[in-house]
Amino acid sequence: MAMTFAASMASAQLNSGAQTIALNANLAESLTLSLSANSVNFTLSAGSATNAGSANITATTKWVLKPGRTAVGVYAYFASSTAALTGTASGATIPSSAFSITDTGAGSGGAGTSGALSNTVAFGVANSGLRMANVGITGTNMNASRTDQMAFNIDLSGGTLPQLPADTFTGTLNIQAQATP
Amino acid sequence: MKLRPQHGARLATLTLVVIVLAAGAHAQVINSGASTISLNAVLNDSITVSLSANAVNFTLTQGSASNPGSTAITATTTWLLRPNVGSLKVYAFFASSTSALTDGAGNNIPSADFQISNNGSAFNALTSTVPFNGANAGLQLSSTPILGNNRSGSRTDNMNFNINLVPLPNLPAGTYTGTLTIQAQAI
Repeated sequence: MAMTFAASMASAQLNSGAQTIALNANLAESLTLSLSANSVNFTLSAGSATNAGSANITATTKWVLKPGRTAVGVYAYFASSTAALTGTASGATIPSSAFSITDTGAGSGGAGTSGALSNTVAFGVANSGLRMANVGITGTNMNASRTDQMAFNIDLSGGTLPQLPADTFTGTLNIQAQATP
Repeated sequence: MKLRPQHGARLATLTLVVIVLAAGAHAQVINSGASTISLNAVLNDSITVSLSANAVNFTLTQGSASNPGSTAITATTTWLLRPNVGSLKVYAFFASSTSALTDGAGNNIPSADFQISNNGSAFNALTSTVPFNGANAGLQLSSTPILGNNRSGSRTDNMNFNINLVPLPNLPAGTYTGTLTIQAQAI
């Protein structure tokens, strides 16, 4: 009985008070979009519906989002619906509705949407854009990416475009992503 | 436990702030930066002339002023031009004014004796110096002013032909051949 008591005393523990360290790790939200190239050339044929761009361009969109986000949209748009491209000598214009993108989407959200840039989207002005992708965000893709491979075409067959004068036409196409809400 | 009135107001304010902050955490969309693609589209200028046929025959009568061609030919000119172009002209011409047609044996019909009636106008001889080929061997068929509304356009020139042999009463019998060229120019 005495031996047992002595052993118990030898293993008795003495604890300090618990000091806590508050940990605060913030994984900021991010949404980035990068392009494989930044220029496309077109050799136009008067009145032709098919005037393909010289190269395809791939937009890679990556995101890290907080819970509560429900969608990521990828958009192509011009600053003007009436003058997507403008003739440097003539001032003649090619509207955004004559400019189309064929989008081959991959990754989160899968296939993309193709068409003329004639919609009102989150960026730019009215009737000057195209939403190429709308990815639903769930618990499985809050940190994900997608690619949109874009092929371009200018349709000169509609309206007064068959009367477009010879010229060099320039313009700027914008690609941008948005997470909502 | 009772709260003092001022404490109750503070708590209510704090609660409201927390609610606003919580709501604000997801109230704003986030956008990526806008990436740009420069577009450069070139619509080149062009002029084309096409003919409805490429051969005309003449049955000549010695010393006659009227030796019409077997058929009329229509030249269709189509153009797509830049804004700095002022006019488009269509020409007919021979390579030589002295031997528009020849029998190959030294007997020639000069361009001055070859005539074209364009779109029903009077017959005119090919005696002008035009931008193409030799002097005094051509005729300007038409001149079209290029304005803002016809930088892309087309026109037709319907040509009837005649060979006037009055100046050549001693032309020997033979088969005379030659090449008439139709060409357009924008300046």
